[in-house]
Amino acid sequence: MNYTKIKLITIMAIVLVLSSTAFAEDVYISGFLQGLYGGGLDDDNPTPSELTAAETRLQLKLESYSDLAEFFGRLDFVYDGYDEPEYDWELREGYIKFRLGNYFDFKVGRQVLTWGTGDLIFINDLFAKDYRSFFIGRDDQYLKAPQDALRGAYYSPIGTFSLVYTPRFTPNRIPTGMRLSYFNPMVGDIVGGADYFFEGRLPEAEIENGEIAGRFKRYFGTADFALYGYRGFYKNPEGFDPSTMEAYYPRLNVYGASIRMPIFEGIAWLEGGYYDSREDTDGDNPNIPNSSVTGLVGFERQIVTNLTVNLQYQGEVMMNYDEFVESVGGQTEVDEVYHLLTSRVTKLMRMETVVLSLFGFYSPSQEDFYGRFSLDYKYTDHLTLTVGGNIFAGNDKFTDFGTFQKNDNVYLKITYGY
Amino acid sequence: MNFTKFSILVTALIFALSLNLSAQDGVAEDLMKEAHLNNFYAADDGLAEVNMSIVNSSGKERNRQFSMLRLDNEEGGMQKYYTYFHKPYDVARLTFMVHKNPFETDQRWLYIPSVDLVKRISADDKGSSFVGSDFSYEDVSGRHWSDDTHKILEEKEHNGMQVYVIESVPKSDDDVFAKKITYIDKEHMLPVREEYYDDKGELERIYTAEKIEVVEEIPTVTLRKMENVKKDQHTIVEFSSIDYNVGVKDNIFTERYLKNPPRQYIK
Repeated sequence: MNYTKIKLITIMAIVLVLSSTAFAEDVYISGFLQGLYGGGLDDDNPTPSELTAAETRLQLKLESYSDLAEFFGRLDFVYDGYDEPEYDWELREGYIKFRLGNYFDFKVGRQVLTWGTGDLIFINDLFAKDYRSFFIGRDDQYLKAPQDALRGAYYSPIGTFSLVYTPRFTPNRIPTGMRLSYFNPMVGDIVGGADYFFEGRLPEAEIENGEIAGRFKRYFGTADFALYGYRGFYKNPEGFDPSTMEAYYPRLNVYGASIRMPIFEGIAWLEGGYYDSREDTDGDNPNIPNSSVTGLVGFERQIVTNLTVNLQYQGEVMMNYDEFVESVGGQTEVDEVYHLLTSRVTKLMRMETVVLSLFGFYSPSQEDFYGRFSLDYKYTDHLTLTVGGNIFAGNDKFTDFGTFQKNDNVYLKITYGY
Repeated sequence: MNFTKFSILVTALIFALSLNLSAQDGVAEDLMKEAHLNNFYAADDGLAEVNMSIVNSSGKERNRQFSMLRLDNEEGGMQKYYTYFHKPYDVARLTFMVHKNPFETDQRWLYIPSVDLVKRISADDKGSSFVGSDFSYEDVSGRHWSDDTHKILEEKEHNGMQVYVIESVPKSDDDVFAKKITYIDKEHMLPVREEYYDDKGELERIYTAEKIEVVEEIPTVTLRKMENVKKDQHTIVEFSSIDYNVGVKDNIFTERYLKNPPRQYIK
């Protein structure tokens, strides 16, 4: 067993060295050193620490390429002292990218993936998100959690076909109670701490439990149009297994489309999707989400020089709502239709060395809110100072943002890039 | 009868005058067009490494380093730009693509590799700063000569060069400047100095071609400076490793290559 492992590692190392000498000419190194310190604003947050972040991060990027292939690696080393000080590291990206013939591109390995048109609203983008990072002030790049995947693209005369195969299901990283508290329906309150550590049960590591995401994209004039398909699981543990009393990730298929185009001196986008809840097709199982239809529309433009504003609306309709209501005993606080409004405001000042960014989510149907703000000051080309914050509010504790309402925080971030 | 004769005479006179005027305008416009084509449409395509240095009023300097690839689909018309950023760290590996159509709104795309995001950007901001410099988007890709009416003010010697001095006034009332004075070097037919005035008649910015080199038989401005007189700051742009007619294909300027930089050009 150990021998096989060693052999495998040796072979991999040889392949790596060979391929790097065969293809690569130079290796470029870059990255940054960053300190992030944040504190909670709510005295009664049940998390173990009053801090939301106290970490020092070193990111190392290695890059090498030739005309044939490209290698890229991004590695983070973190000293994390928000509760119990510990060292941590993560391979954020590590892939090889190459071309086959004139029409095929491949990207294999650990990578971040994004598609779709929404601004922080994801309908057809079912790639992993990291809300634990997103809610405490880490850089925007950390919203995307990496996936170990094989991505292929075929550039045909009628458009581009992309296929992403992720052998091992990669869920979203959502608050577990350790750093950020959440609403626990069993307790009936917002909880945190080791006693309420929350983690969904992953699907078994079997071939059929991989994720497949596909997209077809083409341009019609200046409009880009796309069709999407996904076969996998809900990315959050939205299912509940009564036999083991565990939260898990139910099976999900998604079919959708989007269009985006320049119009009225700005950019407009429209996206829709059908969430097909495979384990509850009749909608009468209260422990598994019902299927739903969701759509969003957005528009962005520069209002005056250096001030850009966008607006989005998302609506979602639960299928088989009557069956759902019946399954929970005839009474529920869950609405049939969900509405969400968002807006982003970006103001560039002092020759783009000062950037003010505001983003607000507001749901009129769930009566909850999530606001983000940040102010970046690029002191030099290498040194950036950031102050920012995250504010959650909700009339109820069980809604999408209301569940995080005790996690309001402000943070300070210092980044030295090299 | 007499009245008719008189009116014909007057009409003829006005016609002749206007012809003469438009002929002069025509010469000025032709000069501006030639200088514009030489400055922004040199050869059929071009590749360069660009170093940008932005110096603010207190003397603090910031730098931007990027590779730029350009393809002209039509001389004086449709043009495509591909930009790959090397420095500073927060924009490194970003790619930026523009489909520029002088008669319609540009199309722009930005690719942010750290989140694998292709973003389309609204382009109604030709006066906006390009990457925080004193150059605007319009300065980088050029302002079409047909957007303004031109008049030759004089011909004179300037810094040892024989130049045409041309005044340009935007046809639209609401534009990024109210008046522009351009000095065109007669030898290379390149703009060597531009003064931009605001609607109060005050000098806002001065562009100067600091260095002209002949690259592959094409006179090229390799050092460009934009001074913001009002803000007391300036930006210097240096072009190096210039290569013309590299044979770049139209399909390079698509999302495929936005996400996968064409390494045969972009190092």
